[in-house]
Amino acid sequence: MLDALKAIIRTVYIFALMGFTLWFGYFLHPVIFGMDGAETEEDIATREIGAFFGEGATEEEKEFMKSIKQQQQTSTTDLGYMVIEEQYVKGHFHHVGMKVESDSSSICTGCHGAVPHDKAKTIRAFLNMHAFYMACETCHVRPEGNEPRYEFRWYDKETGKVVANPPGLNTLDESMYGNYAAKISPGELRRDGTFKFLNGPKELAFVERYLKEESRLNDTQKSKMKKVIHRNVNEDPLICDGCHTIVDEPYLPYTLLGYPQRRLHELTSTEVVGMINKYKEFYIPHLLRGGGVDKDVEAE
Amino acid sequence: MNIDINNRLHSVCRDRWRSTAPVCMIRGLLCCLLMFCGFGLFLSDAYAAAAADELNCVLCHKYRGLSRIDEAGDFRLYYINKGLFNKGPHKRVQCKDCHADIDKIPHDPAEKVDCTIQCHLTEPSGNEKFTHKPVAEVLAKSVHGTVDKGEEDVQYPEDYPYCTDCHDQPLYRPLSFFKGQAAGVSERGLSRCKTCHQTGDFAEDFYNHVTSRLQKMRVSSEIVKLCAKCHGDEEFQERHGLQGNVVASYWETFHGKAAYFGSDEAPDCIDCHVVYGENVHSIAGRASRASATHEANVSATCRASECHADAGEQIAGYQVHTDYGDPDKYPLQYYMLKFFKYLMAGVLYFFITIIFLELLRRLFPDFSFIKQPEEKRQSTISTAAKQ
Repeated sequence: MLDALKAIIRTVYIFALMGFTLWFGYFLHPVIFGMDGAETEEDIATREIGAFFGEGATEEEKEFMKSIKQQQQTSTTDLGYMVIEEQYVKGHFHHVGMKVESDSSSICTGCHGAVPHDKAKTIRAFLNMHAFYMACETCHVRPEGNEPRYEFRWYDKETGKVVANPPGLNTLDESMYGNYAAKISPGELRRDGTFKFLNGPKELAFVERYLKEESRLNDTQKSKMKKVIHRNVNEDPLICDGCHTIVDEPYLPYTLLGYPQRRLHELTSTEVVGMINKYKEFYIPHLLRGGGVDKDVEAE
Repeated sequence: MNIDINNRLHSVCRDRWRSTAPVCMIRGLLCCLLMFCGFGLFLSDAYAAAAADELNCVLCHKYRGLSRIDEAGDFRLYYINKGLFNKGPHKRVQCKDCHADIDKIPHDPAEKVDCTIQCHLTEPSGNEKFTHKPVAEVLAKSVHGTVDKGEEDVQYPEDYPYCTDCHDQPLYRPLSFFKGQAAGVSERGLSRCKTCHQTGDFAEDFYNHVTSRLQKMRVSSEIVKLCAKCHGDEEFQERHGLQGNVVASYWETFHGKAAYFGSDEAPDCIDCHVVYGENVHSIAGRASRASATHEANVSATCRASECHADAGEQIAGYQVHTDYGDPDKYPLQYYMLKFFKYLMAGVLYFFITIIFLELLRRLFPDFSFIKQPEEKRQSTISTAAKQ
């Protein structure tokens, strides 16, 4: 019995050493010959796209390839006492100082992206700013007629689940404003007291399935499906003074969403509301410029 | 291997610091004193003129998502991280000092910032309004400038760098000298400044500015990655008739490996391509007699006082940008590297095979491809047993 046990241990020991020897041989190869020629994920993506476009790629196609290359790029700044690692934004001078979680739970960003607003030139950047911490349906899907008002909750950008009000709302660090890894989204309270977002995992799975199967549908079917996906979208979205108002009750329940009084006052302050109301004719006072009245104001 | 290099670097750095520390400290103190005399005016003027974000631009620009895609398809981010912005010398500059054309809300599409405009700060040595124009003038005459150099107009002017292609928003890299050198602000050192200079952040900013300028603003690896934006691009190199992948060949050198492992003292592109003591923007092409890498100047560049000061003239023979993958240009290096790689592989894999076969024999002690007759086999076993 003891001999058999010894023989088994000896055999296992030899097999283990043989395995280690093989692994060591495999491990040595890149150590000796280097990682030359090993492709990164970025290289593979670039090569595949390059092969798709062929030799005579247009400027647009080259730009697309560059975007693919840059998507994972980060920038590092070593100050000695701290290291800043941030997302690389081509041509951006100021430091961002943070990485941003992408919203993998939205049913919209798969097609429309995270920076979707482009038509209204004067306010598109502001709208995109709100899209950073508000789901599209917060403004673009609203109750119609006698429908009850929606409830609002924060959802985790990564998991899509309801999360507690972000503690970041209470921070005094203004550079973290809007960057909560969560978004506000509308939904309904069920009878059992649970909360359901208008667009939850089920709707997301539906859209993802549609995108996967799109090539198999004919043109008419595609139009039909797009209509179905966008059926709740209002033609007239919520606009700025729906929330940034002093007179009426804001559309969004700031307090319930965890905004402290200080932030609530900011969002409905004269400074913000006034700027919105007088948007088109509001000019920065030329405090630093000598020479009297501004020419634009004078012309008006 | 990595650990060895790290250990060696640390010991080199330590030894070097011990030998040069007193000189550095005296030099640092002198610089501080000299700069204090003139620079005080600069800062005091700045503080008199500036107040933080008078126009309250961060009311909107503090939001990370303020962005759009421009007509060229580029992502434009308008976010200002106020915390980081205030960690650099530009904290004394108003937004409108640089973004001078923005004068209404909503903003019209803004023009590219002109870094050579005068801002409201006064440069103390000449008592004139501060501007980066002198730097731009040096750059224009350098190999990176688009100014006609007496030949034809430069080709591909769009490839030539503008200030912001190399510089992002500068941030302080303060140093503490109080008891030994360390990164960051020495609170005890600063407390001495504050004995007299108590108003506002004057002492903090002065300390940060001066100590940051006594060292490189970026670590070596960051400088190399910066230059690699253009010089690591094969198409770019080809367009401008520049040979080889100079970035990859740099990383292969001892200098490159030291930089890769985080050494702040490892020479980067600037150390070798800028003439010792000259403005870092004055890089000249290698063919120019004024270039730090011109054949006649290489040894002087290598033997700069912070580098190989005791080396002989022969150091100029060291090939920094050897492309070990190019047998046409560097046949000796190419084949020597190949030889040693295969020699090493041959030796190691030979012994690995022997070990593997030895283990196999232990599992199958009687295994043989050659079948011996039973009688002969028995006789061999009995002979072995007797022995």
